[in-house]
Amino acid sequence: MDATRPSHPGERRWLAPALLPLGLFVALVWGLNVQDLPWSWSVPWIPSLGIELAFRIDALSAQMLALITGVGTLIFVYAAGYMAHDSRRGRLFAVLSLFMLAMLGAVSADHIIVLFLFWELTSVTSFLLVGFNHEDAKARESARQALLITLAGGLALLAGLLLLAQITGSWFLSGIVQAMPAHTADPRLSWAIVLVLLGAFTKSAQFPFHFWLPNAMSAPTPVSAYLHSATMVKLGIYLMARLDPAFNDLLLWEILLIGVGTVTAVWAAVLALRERDLKRILARSTVSALGTLTLLIGLPSSQAGLAVITFLFAHALYKAPLFMVAGNIDHATGTRVIDNLMGLRRVMPWTALAAILAGLSMAGLPLAFGFVAKGFIADAKAEADLFVMIGYALVLVNAVAAAVAGVAAIRVFWGPPAAPLARVREVPLSMLLPPLLLTLVGIEFELFPHLADPLLLAAAQVISPGLDSSADYAGVAMQQLLTASAITLLTGLVLFLAWDRIHKLLAEVRWLDRWGPEAEYQHFLRGLGRLAAWHARIMQSGRLDIYLRLLLAGGGVMAVYALWQVDLKLAADFDWHAHGWAWLVALALMVIGALAATFMRERIAVLMACGLMGYASALLFLFAGAPDLAFTQFSVETVLVVVAAALLPAFALQPQTVRSAAGGTNVRLLLAASAGVVSLLVLLHFINTPVDNTLAQWFGDNSLSQAMGRNVVNVIIVDFRALDTLGEIIVVVFALLAARPLLQAAGDHGDQTPRRASSPLLALSAKPLYLLILAVALWILLRGHNEPGGGFIAGLAAVTASSLLAILVDTRQALRWQLLAPVPMALIGVALAIAAGVIGAVWGPGFLRHLWFGGLSSVMLFDLGVMLAVWGALTGYVYALLDDPLRFGDDHSRTNP
Amino acid sequence: MTILLALAISLCVAAGTWLLLSRDVFRLIMGLAVLGNAANLALFMAGRPGGMTPPVIVEGAATLAADAANPLPQALVLTAIVIGFALLCFGLVLAARVSRAHGHSDVGAYQVSEPQASPGQDATKPPLMD
Repeated sequence: MDATRPSHPGERRWLAPALLPLGLFVALVWGLNVQDLPWSWSVPWIPSLGIELAFRIDALSAQMLALITGVGTLIFVYAAGYMAHDSRRGRLFAVLSLFMLAMLGAVSADHIIVLFLFWELTSVTSFLLVGFNHEDAKARESARQALLITLAGGLALLAGLLLLAQITGSWFLSGIVQAMPAHTADPRLSWAIVLVLLGAFTKSAQFPFHFWLPNAMSAPTPVSAYLHSATMVKLGIYLMARLDPAFNDLLLWEILLIGVGTVTAVWAAVLALRERDLKRILARSTVSALGTLTLLIGLPSSQAGLAVITFLFAHALYKAPLFMVAGNIDHATGTRVIDNLMGLRRVMPWTALAAILAGLSMAGLPLAFGFVAKGFIADAKAEADLFVMIGYALVLVNAVAAAVAGVAAIRVFWGPPAAPLARVREVPLSMLLPPLLLTLVGIEFELFPHLADPLLLAAAQVISPGLDSSADYAGVAMQQLLTASAITLLTGLVLFLAWDRIHKLLAEVRWLDRWGPEAEYQHFLRGLGRLAAWHARIMQSGRLDIYLRLLLAGGGVMAVYALWQVDLKLAADFDWHAHGWAWLVALALMVIGALAATFMRERIAVLMACGLMGYASALLFLFAGAPDLAFTQFSVETVLVVVAAALLPAFALQPQTVRSAAGGTNVRLLLAASAGVVSLLVLLHFINTPVDNTLAQWFGDNSLSQAMGRNVVNVIIVDFRALDTLGEIIVVVFALLAARPLLQAAGDHGDQTPRRASSPLLALSAKPLYLLILAVALWILLRGHNEPGGGFIAGLAAVTASSLLAILVDTRQALRWQLLAPVPMALIGVALAIAAGVIGAVWGPGFLRHLWFGGLSSVMLFDLGVMLAVWGALTGYVYALLDDPLRFGDDHSRTNP
Repeated sequence: MTILLALAISLCVAAGTWLLLSRDVFRLIMGLAVLGNAANLALFMAGRPGGMTPPVIVEGAATLAADAANPLPQALVLTAIVIGFALLCFGLVLAARVSRAHGHSDVGAYQVSEPQASPGQDATKPPLMD
């Protein structure tokens, strides 16, 4: 038949990836013959944390390794055939190989961190594989579901493992198992067990985390056969088996494993009867088998270990072929729904054979390895003292398994064809050999047990150290076994015959879809999304005032926390007369101004109040021995008031007061009060910490001798810290440049009628006044080095002069009399300052180290540069605003609010 | 006496914060001005201000007198005053421009770059996602 159809030309090449698992398998077998178990290998990885790359292969690990590489080889061969016409096979093989390596690492890891690492790696590669057909939305959804569940479990696992390490003091699995008997009274142990089991349950699809496994069937069949029947889902079982010797006596462990295992087994078995897709049916029965395995591990019997290991092995040997059969059917007919599949044995005889052989094992019939496994299970159950209910439940589970085997093997292949079979062909050899080989291996182990015996027994002893090593197949009580089998098979037959009717019955059960674990998972994710959206709407409301409140509140909390940590010193002296009445007056005016600004209704009043506050602080500077500061503050405040007053009409579109909502006022008050209190505490603490005046002392001592200046403040600004001042004037000029686009009008500013001064006397005196003030400014500049004064104050005075001229006459005249336009003047000022520094660099010790030739010096050049920069930058604002503040922001640029 | 200064500064900080949280953009800028002023004063206070003698070396002396004011914070505050002023000018112009562009000065309603969710939009998703 078409089993010998010539394969796709490139197919042979793609058998090459199978060499990897094959090579590893051969190496394993050879190693087992050469060297005794256990093998260990360790290399330091992160010594400071005590983490090593430690691996330890004992019989249990070796068993798993054999399974992974052996089944893996056949899976890779199968995949080559399955993906023969698919261009994505490169990606599939790459990720499959990565998965296999991760799996190998996980079962041989000894250090718990290494285990965790490989555990998560299997989750990630599984995600990539389940989502392989990533264009399909359902595949993406299933992949994400599998990932979220197994990753969450992985986190729990990490926590549990770390707890175990803390309890026992060992970071190695082998060490934990050895040391555990001494620590069974530790109160943290229950938590550790629960957490570790959470990890194992999520990975092995136990109830209520089981629903990701049927959904993972959107993966290509080779993946399903490998990951979700033979290897990855067994990882949780492996972990539980490995930890079992340590915990088997604990009641919590027993109850959890037996309870969850039973529930899973029964639940999944029942749900299997609800499915119509062949792969999903097989997936459900896999979950059921995993539940049985969990149950077996929890059994306190010493035979349990043998049962576990045999069933694990047998299950892989029959489930993987069954999945491959399903894949073959899908490949050949294009469908997996059992309604449409019947009578296929005529066109797919070899696949049918593989299905029959696997089905024999699954149903537990003699001649198949599954029979042996069921035997050991019965043994273990008998020895343990199980609830009768669990016993009956397991009979049901086995019956369902038999029914499923019937469906997969018999129903699909026998009977009249459900659909025309003309175009259905048998699949190529590469897809036939693997399932057949696997099933034959199973039969071989049943017929010739001595091949598998040693390894199985050794592995079983790892799980149940109390196992009597002389136990073998002959120890199975034949009589009991046959009776139990007969009952199971009969029930299974009934179920098989009544499959459709049962399915219809179960499909009526709707509440499962609405309230079952999967539905809860969906609800949870949706709820999480809702929470995030709600939170985003609050925090990212798009409103500046709310952002400000959040900022200030956050800052306040941090400040309070910081103050809490510090040992606050809040002593203060209340000596009223220390600095005289002048201070009191200045402070009083300042507070009055600031407080008045808060409740004034008119904007101009707010402006005036702020101006008052500014002048009051200037007064304070004056009376505190800072004349330079006082002059600067006076000038700055004046120009600020002028500029702001000129701008007020631009704000005058709206009512003068904008009230916040009532609740908003309380928050505002709270934040303002907190800011005040925090700053008070900080300042008081500040005053009481000792002050270090070394630097100030140095400046005072060296100002005259090194910088030829008596005004220490000015000397600091233009000489000792000239670089900072250079940066400062650049910033000031930048502020103007940044504002220029804002100041430019939407329309042109061609025609303006020159404003007339309100009185001829003022018009006449404007220019002389200008020149007088300019002269004063120059005088301030020149005297600044030795008396209070300097470039900044001079510049500000010049700005005052220009503003006066602009107000009294008009800006055109003021511009003409300034000789340079504002921006060029500012830039020249910066250039002069830099030039002064360059002089020092070229002819002197360094950049901005000033030089003196007799009475002249580059300091003067620098100070002049400062003056010009300030003058230019600020008049740039003043002229633009005095001209016509309403001109900019015209109707053309109005945007919809 | 210094405690009075500290108290006054804190009151100014409180007043400035109150203005900063106003819904009128002009008051917001004025709040910045008040806060800037208060910050300058706090910085000045760090130098432990005392007598009225300015930090100028008198004729005949070679170094600064011991009772003169501390020159270092003064130099720093001078810088701060000028830069703060430049920033305020820019802020005022910006606020005026924005106010004209929107036709009002209510800060809470400046949302050209932050579209609101329309009434019928899915409440499970943040604004702008549909």
